[in-house]
Amino acid sequence: MKNILNITGLCCDVEIKDSVFGKSKKKRILNNISFSFERGKILGISGKSGSGKTTLAKCICGVIPPSSGKIKIEVTNPESKSRSAQLLFQNSSDIVNPYRKIYRMVEEAIDYSSQKIEDRENEIKEIFETINFPSHLWHKRGFQLSGGEQQRAALARILAVRPELLVLDEPFSAQDVESQLNLVNLFLKIKEKLNVSIICISHDLKILRKLCDEIIILFKGEIVEKGTTEKVFSNPTHPYTKFLLKSENYDLSYEELQLHKEALE
Amino acid sequence: MLDVKIDHILLNGSEIVKNIRFSLKQKMIYTILGRNGSGKSTLIKALTGLLNSGVYSVNGKVLLQNNDLLSCSSDYLIRLRSSQIKYVFQDPVNSFDHLKKLKYYFKKTGKPEEDVLKLLGEFLFEEPAKIFSMYPYELSGGMAQRLNFVLAFLSSPDLLILDEPTSGIDNAVSNLLLLKLKSFVCQESKSVLLVTQDLNWAAKVSSKIAFLENGTLSDFRTPEEFFNSSDNLVKSFLTSLQMIKK
Repeated sequence: MKNILNITGLCCDVEIKDSVFGKSKKKRILNNISFSFERGKILGISGKSGSGKTTLAKCICGVIPPSSGKIKIEVTNPESKSRSAQLLFQNSSDIVNPYRKIYRMVEEAIDYSSQKIEDRENEIKEIFETINFPSHLWHKRGFQLSGGEQQRAALARILAVRPELLVLDEPFSAQDVESQLNLVNLFLKIKEKLNVSIICISHDLKILRKLCDEIIILFKGEIVEKGTTEKVFSNPTHPYTKFLLKSENYDLSYEELQLHKEALE
Repeated sequence: MLDVKIDHILLNGSEIVKNIRFSLKQKMIYTILGRNGSGKSTLIKALTGLLNSGVYSVNGKVLLQNNDLLSCSSDYLIRLRSSQIKYVFQDPVNSFDHLKKLKYYFKKTGKPEEDVLKLLGEFLFEEPAKIFSMYPYELSGGMAQRLNFVLAFLSSPDLLILDEPTSGIDNAVSNLLLLKLKSFVCQESKSVLLVTQDLNWAAKVSSKIAFLENGTLSDFRTPEEFFNSSDNLVKSFLTSLQMIKK
């Protein structure tokens, strides 16, 4: 039970339908993804847009079924199997109902999760405290919150079902650097306090370096680099990873950019 | 090439920036650093009379070859902004009209298609010919920003004014823009004025850097001087900016 997640030979195809002739063709989004991930760690997944990051997250959480391959989540509590992996979507502010009170929303999540909780009030209080959600916002409605507050409200709702694996899809996008750092600290706190393993998807390598124990780099739907954060940053092997790291400091020459033309967004 | 002496810019009677004095020389990249709301964008828009005169009032002079831009007719300024002084604004995707194909914008520059294709290639577009028939909403942020640069470069302006060129753009594209700007100012009588919050990028791209805080602009210094300055004002500005950044 050391690993929380084992993925072997995961492939995911989407069908693209031709609207005129009704023919459809298949496009492979993820190709032969295999990795395992240790309990209690934080894994970062990076790569450019369209490399399959979000598709991988959705496959792990069971939002979309894979075309082939196996995804196995090892849970400690068999009762919680159906809700053991939770996904925080990229546009988290859109999934908070603007007309409902945040407290009620979290309460509802607990009700539906069929957990046996004696002191529900205390449980909710603990969740809010873990994510630094101030008490004057508990009874506010979705539309009254800022983007960052909505994101934390969405997080509270996910944490209310006590997942063992938390998947975060671009949680740092559209935030200034100060709030990004606060989020990093928040995720570390959640990991410690609620005993969850975290997979964090981001195109921002700088922030992943601060947060993660291990890093995976995706390129065109395949894993091109995998290892501990230290190893990936100090000793990258794949040319695409080298390119990404060099571009962080704007040290690329025109020739290097030319070579990786297709990696420009 | 451009002499700026702006006494103050007022927004509904309250002062946004005051006592701005600088002059731009050719073959240089000038950077103005500053936080959100410090008045950077207002300042660069004021230079060619782009601010809405109903709410803003600009007192001072902006001299281009002894011609005060602030007292020029709007017709003249429109012609000036289509040839000599080019702007690239923030939010690259929405700088375009989403219902017009990109061909429309290329045609407007009046340049032959081969020139456009060549420049698109230099900006590392994979299939330059395809760009013509695309709509702006099909572009990613990085593509749109590269296209804004292509359009600006096509009219070969003397001065290029950029508002936060790297915000929301990924590092590799920012890296490309950096190289392109540097080779742009290698040509005779060209220069660039830009505002940004990205310290690393500014340090690499700039010939001279100044900062705007509390409505006043510091002197322009070289990046080495700027980042190693013993001036307390610069130091406190850099630490305050780094606090936000790091």
